[in-house]
Amino acid sequence: MSNNSENEVGKDASDPNRAIGDKLRSYYDSVQEEPIPERFLDLLERLEEAEEKAAVEKNEE
Amino acid sequence: MKNSSFKREMLATLPSLRAFAYSLSRKSDKADDLVQDTMMKAWAKQDSFQPNSNMKAWLFTILRNEFYSQMRKKGREVQDSDGYFTEGLAVHPSQHGLLDMKDFKAALDQLPDDQREAIILVGASGFAYEEAAEISGCAVGTVKSRVSRARTALKEILQVDGESDYGPQGADASVTSRAFAR
Repeated sequence: MSNNSENEVGKDASDPNRAIGDKLRSYYDSVQEEPIPERFLDLLERLEEAEEKAAVEKNEE
Repeated sequence: MKNSSFKREMLATLPSLRAFAYSLSRKSDKADDLVQDTMMKAWAKQDSFQPNSNMKAWLFTILRNEFYSQMRKKGREVQDSDGYFTEGLAVHPSQHGLLDMKDFKAALDQLPDDQREAIILVGASGFAYEEAAEISGCAVGTVKSRVSRARTALKEILQVDGESDYGPQGADASVTSRAFAR
């Protein structure tokens, strides 16, 4: 994704563009680096359990 | 097992998905709710996911569609580039030459939804223009145009051209009164 040639869409002010790009990625990375909140891990577990339970019940029919 | 590998892949994508949700939604406290809704929807339709295809793009598409669908239900207009309006305040970098994350987020929030989405997909999430176009359901040229306008708008809001003077005087009036539609 690092080829800047496709960024020539607009004007060629590459330095300010890169500054914007860097800031954007820093902002994005700062969120990405946060640990996953518990609620999502819990959700996945619950979803999986519900599915396994449904599968077991189905097998017992 | 198919389920556990789906779950593992989804888990691996979560940080990026969260970052996308935070960038896209204006209310940060709603971003995690959006991610949760997305995960539930994705789980429910996991059979429609082609194994070995791009899970990240698939999840991003679901999240994006969920975001706009929720906004429509709330009766909020989806802003496009021509109908741009600010939600209030002008944004100034908090210190001369320094941009902290809050400033940047505030600047992102000032963009029309379609531009914000485009620049996040291409500039931050690592998608190619073609992938971003698929996720957004539009033409590649449209994505490019939105990204370009987003960059221009951000440069103005954040005064990144290097020669402007920071602070409320001239910048303020121009940011709040000028429409970014071109």
